[in-house]
Amino acid sequence: MSEYTGVPRPTAPAELTSDSPYTLPGFFAALAEGELLAAVCADCDTRLIPPRTACYGCGGRDLTTAAEPHTGTVVSYTEVRTAPPAFADQVPYTVAVVELDSGAKLTGRLTAAYDEVAIDMSVRLVVRAPTAAERELGLSYETEWPVHTFEPV
Amino acid sequence: MPDAHIVTVGTSPFGRTDLTGRDLFSVAITEAFAGLPDPAAVVDALYVGNQSEAYEHQIMYGSLLAEWAGLRHVPAERVEGCAAAGALALRHAVEDVRSGRHDAVLACGVEKMTAGGTTGATDALSAAFDRATEQRSGVTAPSQYALLAQRYLHETDATEADLAAIAVKNHANAAANPRAMFRSETTVETVLESAYIAPPLKLFDCAPVTDGAAVALVAAEHVVDALGVADTVRVAGAAAGANNLAVADRNLTVIEGAAAVTTEAYAQAGIAAADVDIAEVHDAFTVCEALLAEAAGFAPRGRGYESALAPAERSAGWTDVALSTSGGLKARGHPVGATGIAQAVEAFEQLTGTAHPDRQVAGAETALLVNEGGVADAVTAAHVLTVA
Repeated sequence: MSEYTGVPRPTAPAELTSDSPYTLPGFFAALAEGELLAAVCADCDTRLIPPRTACYGCGGRDLTTAAEPHTGTVVSYTEVRTAPPAFADQVPYTVAVVELDSGAKLTGRLTAAYDEVAIDMSVRLVVRAPTAAERELGLSYETEWPVHTFEPV
Repeated sequence: MPDAHIVTVGTSPFGRTDLTGRDLFSVAITEAFAGLPDPAAVVDALYVGNQSEAYEHQIMYGSLLAEWAGLRHVPAERVEGCAAAGALALRHAVEDVRSGRHDAVLACGVEKMTAGGTTGATDALSAAFDRATEQRSGVTAPSQYALLAQRYLHETDATEADLAAIAVKNHANAAANPRAMFRSETTVETVLESAYIAPPLKLFDCAPVTDGAAVALVAAEHVVDALGVADTVRVAGAAAGANNLAVADRNLTVIEGAAAVTTEAYAQAGIAAADVDIAEVHDAFTVCEALLAEAAGFAPRGRGYESALAPAERSAGWTDVALSTSGGLKARGHPVGATGIAQAVEAFEQLTGTAHPDRQVAGAETALLVNEGGVADAVTAAHVLTVA
């Protein structure tokens, strides 16, 4: 639990600042501290990563932030062999869709060779600082945002 | 509600060219208006499907193409929706005519993708993915669709050879399409031996980076009569819908957005999936044709990968629809913003009986077009076209 969790959806526009977990700067500030935030919908239980002010599952806005579990399983995966410029020096690398133990899904890099990955494999979330190349090619407000990845358990 | 008709169509060649986007449009509109009055005498408004300004450093494509068509002081705007931009532009044109707002609207699509090479196209296309989570993970268009393909192969009996057969079929269709980028046949062995781009997808599972433009004139019946055009195609259904942007937040193997818009388009047309004779679905990667065959109601769940088989060889529950008769995105080519209009061009030719005899589907009366953008159903547009 932190200042970012258990936060209800802001109802006043002025509350939606870069400190709020309902904005990307707030989401990444929490991630830098090791918390992967979701907004959880009270009406349909959808877990929204990153948090935003309305639920795509049902359209409801009765939302509260929560920290997601860091463990989950691989839903699907592949290997990137031709990468966008920011990642060109890292190919080949594995990318996966992971279902966290909460049921929320998230795409991320998986730090395992493609041949060593299988669907349903257990993985764990890791948060790292952006590389020099990622900082250089990132937008001005992104340079300090951490990067989430997964590693085999 | 006035009926919307596609009156005339045109395209540039699809492939790698030294022409720019506006030049490709000039080629397409020159074909479309051969034997017709000047566009300025006919067209009330214009929409342009265009994926990215990254290729040509050019936005304002609505103004530009209106100018290049000789139009002034008409509503003209670019429509953005990655690879669905063309069909979204077509739907705007159709809705303008149906609503009575305009009598004749030009739906256009254009993309000059080869300008920045593979790196440029990879980067431009990656802008279609969620910046906050997906782009930061280094995903690419092939890798995004590979996530769908990997899961599909896991959940169904489909094999990489089944997906390869889709590419083989679409190359064979393209061989009979003078507009196509690849007019060469291929074999399952060639597809399977091509290099992995993002496993399980290989080079020959992927649509190419393509330059191209396409136009379709959409008009009310009285315009058709005034122009004296004999063979038109009626737009019987037009629907569009968005779904979550991040792939992880959607069903990877049930393309819900495509199911929703095809259901809506069928309802408008008063038909069922089984009534569709030909379909251009969004085979940007071979697995898409399988997934969309299921979403559109042509194939039972988990059997869409049989789309390359003759109808009699497909599983029970399949319709006898012919898929990607143009060669599809795979072999006709995939100039991203133009693809949705290029699909309509194929349907126009098939339904007016003017397709090359080697690919003309005898007696084709009803066509479905499915055009998607931003990985599967992030946004999808569907149109049902029928003989007028």
